[in-house]
This record gives sequence, C-alpha cells and structure tokens, in this order.
Amino acid sequence: MTADPRSAPEVTELSIDGLLKLEDLVDRTALTELTKSFYVLFGIPVRIYSNDGALLADASNEHEVCAYVNTLGGGRKACTETVRAVRAADPEDATKELVHPCFTGNVYRIVPLDYDSRRIGRIILGPYAPPALNDVPQTFLDVDKGLDKAKALTLLSKVPRAKPETVTRIGNHLKAALDLILFSGHKALLTSQMHLLSVRESYRELQEKNQKLQEAYDRLKELDRLKSNFLATVSHELRTPLTSIIGYSEMLTEGIAGELSTEQAEFVKTIHEKGEQLLGLIKGLLDLSKLESGTMSMRRRNILIKDVLDEVLSTLSPIARKKGVELRLDVDGVSTELRADPERLRQVFINLVDNALKFTPQGGSVTMRARMVTSSSDGEDDAGFALMAPALSKVEVRVIDTGIGIPAHERMKVFDPFYQVDSSSTREYGGTGLGLSIVKRLVEAHGGSVWVEGNEPRGTAFVVRLPPATLASGRPPAPA
Amino acid sequence: MQLNFAAREVTIKLVYYGPALSGKTTNLKSLHQIVKDESRGRLMTLETKDDRTLFFDMLPLTFKSGEEGMPAANAMSMRLKVFTVPGQVLHASTRRLVLQGADGVAFIADSQHAQTENNAASFLDLRDNLKEMGRSIKDVPLIIQFNKRDMPNVRKDAEIEQLAQKGKEPVFTASAVKGEGVLESFFGLLYLTWTKLDEEHQLASKLGLRPEQFLTLAARKLGHQGDVGSLLAACVGGRLLRTGKGR
Repeated sequence: MTADPRSAPEVTELSIDGLLKLEDLVDRTALTELTKSFYVLFGIPVRIYSNDGALLADASNEHEVCAYVNTLGGGRKACTETVRAVRAADPEDATKELVHPCFTGNVYRIVPLDYDSRRIGRIILGPYAPPALNDVPQTFLDVDKGLDKAKALTLLSKVPRAKPETVTRIGNHLKAALDLILFSGHKALLTSQMHLLSVRESYRELQEKNQKLQEAYDRLKELDRLKSNFLATVSHELRTPLTSIIGYSEMLTEGIAGELSTEQAEFVKTIHEKGEQLLGLIKGLLDLSKLESGTMSMRRRNILIKDVLDEVLSTLSPIARKKGVELRLDVDGVSTELRADPERLRQVFINLVDNALKFTPQGGSVTMRARMVTSSSDGEDDAGFALMAPALSKVEVRVIDTGIGIPAHERMKVFDPFYQVDSSSTREYGGTGLGLSIVKRLVEAHGGSVWVEGNEPRGTAFVVRLPPATLASGRPPAPA
Repeated sequence: MQLNFAAREVTIKLVYYGPALSGKTTNLKSLHQIVKDESRGRLMTLETKDDRTLFFDMLPLTFKSGEEGMPAANAMSMRLKVFTVPGQVLHASTRRLVLQGADGVAFIADSQHAQTENNAASFLDLRDNLKEMGRSIKDVPLIIQFNKRDMPNVRKDAEIEQLAQKGKEPVFTASAVKGEGVLESFFGLLYLTWTKLDEEHQLASKLGLRPEQFLTLAARKLGHQGDVGSLLAACVGGRLLRTGKGR
C-alpha cells in the first residue's frame, strides 16, 4: 500500500486474505490485563503465545514448589526441559486441547487459538494440580537426590487444584473472549481499510473528472480566443468597403454627381444612414472583441469625473431637449481623481445616458449623480470599518431615468451582448444590443463594476463604481 | 484465487452482485444458516446504515480436501470467501473495490416486474466495473439468480425459463428469505468457478481433484445431505455443465 493516493492509478485490491497475526490484532498490555483477571479469578497461571512462539501475555506467580525445584540442580534442568516441551506442544486440531504433564505431578493445559481456520497462537494454562495428586510422584523424587520429600509434599499441596473439566471451561471461556477481540479487531481493520480505499478510489475518480473538465475548459478558452480574433479581423475587413459606401453616398447627397430628384435623394439618404448605423455596429463589435481579448488600448491619466460628465451633458443636451426630457448633472463635492482613459469613460456614460434618454418618455428626466461611497464587499458591512472604509471608497455615478424600467430578473442579462429586454422593443427604440455589454467591459477594464437598480417609483438606475486613482495602483499599469 | 502450496491452501473469492435490495445479504445469511457449523466462519457485516450494506458482508467457508484416514499433511484447506457488494448506486467505488479479484460472480436479480430496469442497470454497472479492471464479463464465471420468487408481481417461471434458455449464463430461481434456491445458486457458482480455475491453473492435476469431485466434496463438507447433481439440476437454463442442459 502506498501512502500517496496519486500514485495509485488502479483500484487497489482489498487484502481479504492476508495472514492475520495475533500480535497485530490485540494490544499486548490490554491482553496481559485480561489474562491477569483470569489468573485472579481461577488461580491458574495463564500465558498466551503467538503462532511463532512469542510470549504476548503472562499472568502467573511462580508456585512455591517451582521455586523449590529450581534450587536443585537436577530440578532446574528438568523444569527447563518441561517448559520447553510445553511451549513446543502443538494440538493438531483446533477443537482438541493438549494436557502436558510436569514431573512434579502437576500438569499444563495447552489450548489452541484458531482464527479464520488458521492457527494464530495458543493459551497455556498451568501448572496446576490434578485432583488426584496426593503424594510426591516418583518422577519428582528422581530428579534430584537432595529432594526433601516432606517439604515437596507441603509445597505441592499449595498448588491450586483443578478438575480437568473446570480447566476445559476456563480455556473455552478465555478462547471465546479472545475470539471476540480478534473478530472485532479484524472487522475494524477491514472497515478502516475500506474507508481508506474508498476515499482513495473516490479521489481517483474525481481526479479523472477534473482532468476532463480542465481539458474541456482549455478547449473552450482556445475557441473563445479564436472567435475574438475572427471577429476583430472580420470587423476590420468590413469597415474598409463600408467607408466607401458611406463616402460615395455622401457625395451623391451633396450633388457632386449631378442633381438628384427628391425621391433619389431620399433613397441615397437612407443608404447613407443605414451605412452609418452599420459602421456603428461594426465598431461596437470591434470594441467588444478587443475588450474580450484584452487588446483594447487604454490611455489612462488622472482625471476628475466631473470633466467627463460635463462633456457628456453638453454632447447629449441637444438630443434631450429635442425629446423633451430634462437632463441633469449633480457632481457636488466629488473631487477625488480617477485613473482612467477619459475617452473610454465618456463612451461609457454617453452610452448609458443615451440609453436612458431613449427609454424615457417626454416630460421625464435623466439624472447623472456622482458621489463618493464606501462599498462593502459582503454582508458584514461594519466589520473593521475604520480599516476597510478607506480601502473600499469608490466614485459612484448613478444614471437615473424615469423611463419604462427593467424587470428585476432581467437586470443582469442586459449586459450580455445582443441581449434586449424585449425583442419587440428593438423596433420601437432601435439599438444593436452591444452598447451595454461594451459599457460593462469598459468599466471592468477600469477596475470598476456596473449594475442596474430600479428607480422608485418608476424607471431605472445604472450604477457605475470606479476606484479612486490612489487605489487603482494595485492593478497592472495601463498600456499606453 | 490464491493457491498457496506451502501452506496447502486454496482461497477463492466469490462475489454476490446486484441492484439495491435484491437480497444479496439475505442470500449470505441463508447460506450461513444452511452450512455446517464446523465449515462456516462468522458472517461479518461491515458498516451498515438502516439495514443497508455500506461496505460489504463476508462469509468465510472453509473445509479440508482430505478424506477420513488420509494423512492430514496431504489435505488442502479450501477457503471460500463469499462477499456481497452494496447495491445502492452511490457506492460505486466500494463495489469496484469488493469486486476486485473476484473468481466468480453471482448476480442476484429481483424477480419483480418493477425491478426490470434496476436489474439491467446493475448488470451494466457490473460489466463496466469489470471492464475498468481490465476483465471481460464473458471471461468471469457468472450465474444469475432470480430472487424473491415468493413475492407477488414477479416474472413468471416459464418466462424466466425461456429467457434462461436463450442466455449463456446459468440461471437459478430463489427465495432467499425462505432459504430456497440459495444453496443451488451457490453450488452452481462454485462449480462454474472451479471449472474455470481448473482450466486456467490445472487444478485437477495439481490437487488431484476434478471439478465434479470438488463439488461433491464441497457439498458434503458444507453439510448438504443429498445428491449434488440435483443441486445443479435446479439450473433453469444457460450453460452450466459441459455436456449438460441448455444450448
């Protein structure tokens, strides 16, 4: 198993049949505590060995008789041999236990531990005395000539006595307790393995999907770039012949090629007008594609919004007057400089005001109102005000009309290219549907934002917010 | 399959696949009840929520290939691990993990008419998952069980039989809650799987055990009293025996 999920390209196999080891599934300290409680309960020493012979838990105090045996040379030797034989004894069948005798007349009981039909260790109970042990057996007497029989008998009688069936029950009980621990441990092991593997598998799937999404995204970006290039080229190529059409129709209107009849003059005028309209549209497309591809050139300098809006007012006042709509300008107290291209900003507000005039009926009004505001970036407007306010100060221009208004759900869409709130309005009000999308991109190119709000009781307010020159420095320097 | 000659062990992984709630876990529970005590391990259920399998269930079955009186050292330990996958669609990655390394697959279908599409979708899921592991469903020993025969609104026996006759995979019918057809399906799968493994690994010569012998042995060790042939005869169609029923 590798630690890094990224290095696992294939699904990893669940190790369902790995060799389980007793020492991997149980905690030695906790196992020792368990065996000690058995020892306290039954008085019979308990030892648990793993399959490869390692002692995992030991709960026993040396019997006095054993201590005595070990003081005798022959006794020590015989004891070592017995213990070795006990440890080596291996019951063949999982269901069988083994009774191994000690020369002292005591016995050991060896209980096999199997899990999942495999031997994983054994429990050794003893030494304990069988009920029939009433005398020092010959095997004990033979181990050493210096044996004190009376003492041996006294000490032997102190060894805990247990009936074979009692020991079987103790062994079974301990085996059952261990089996529970092993099963639970195994289950927990598999569960954690599954968790890990399924997380890794999910991660792999997500990676694959991300990869595909990224590829699709890259492809789309490339297509978008190609589209912008195409648009820029085509617009440019269209303008050249169109200039000729406009030029020649102008010459015809001026009578350079001879006097025209009223009807002919009317027709030529229409050609000229439509030519100009088409040129406007093409310029718009060109601007849009330049803005989208980021190749629009900006000549930025420090300017005052008042100067821009004054020019807009003087440019559009005649149209407003002609339509019978009042055009007002309110720039009181805004002396903060902007870092912007005045030509482009003028384009923005001419577009917005022209639009407002177009949709405002006679007798209405259009107002340009500039103010300094503090924009809050999220809902927690007052948090850290003293710190945030200067950094968030903006120049805000509202272009407010009393026209037909825009339904709330349409307000974000008006900035999409070629979008018009009501396609039937095109005929009544004219326009290409490009103006606002250019406005939005121009404002954004200045690091600002634009959106639409409703004007009570009727009409629309277009809100443009631009950063002051002092804060615009964080942006990439404007290409000259 | 894992063949460990040193430890004299053969481990086979069988997977119960199928749509959600088709009775995969119930099949395992029934099998657990039917099998003799000494051959079955604990049925392990890993992670469930509201009685639905989240990870898998596993039933280990083990028996020795040795005969009475034969030297124990010659016997092989046969270890069968039977798994279920979680059926719900969202556990796709878990299904793939459990399916990995399967020697044979039992597809547990729900006989109810309303489940026709779910059965098909789950089968395609199985095919896709195998494909992702670089295996073809044609090469994996596979039996189909139409479960829930006890329910109303189920596909008729004759209809299933007709479908089965046209198909390649051996088909069994079952009512897992009642324990009916469970053993038949299991032995069908076991036989098919062993036959396939025998072809690939020459188990007959390596272990001295032909597929038919293996099946008889497995049936006896797992506690089936009757004739093994009758278990396989429960197959209603498809190709199970080399010279048997079906096409």
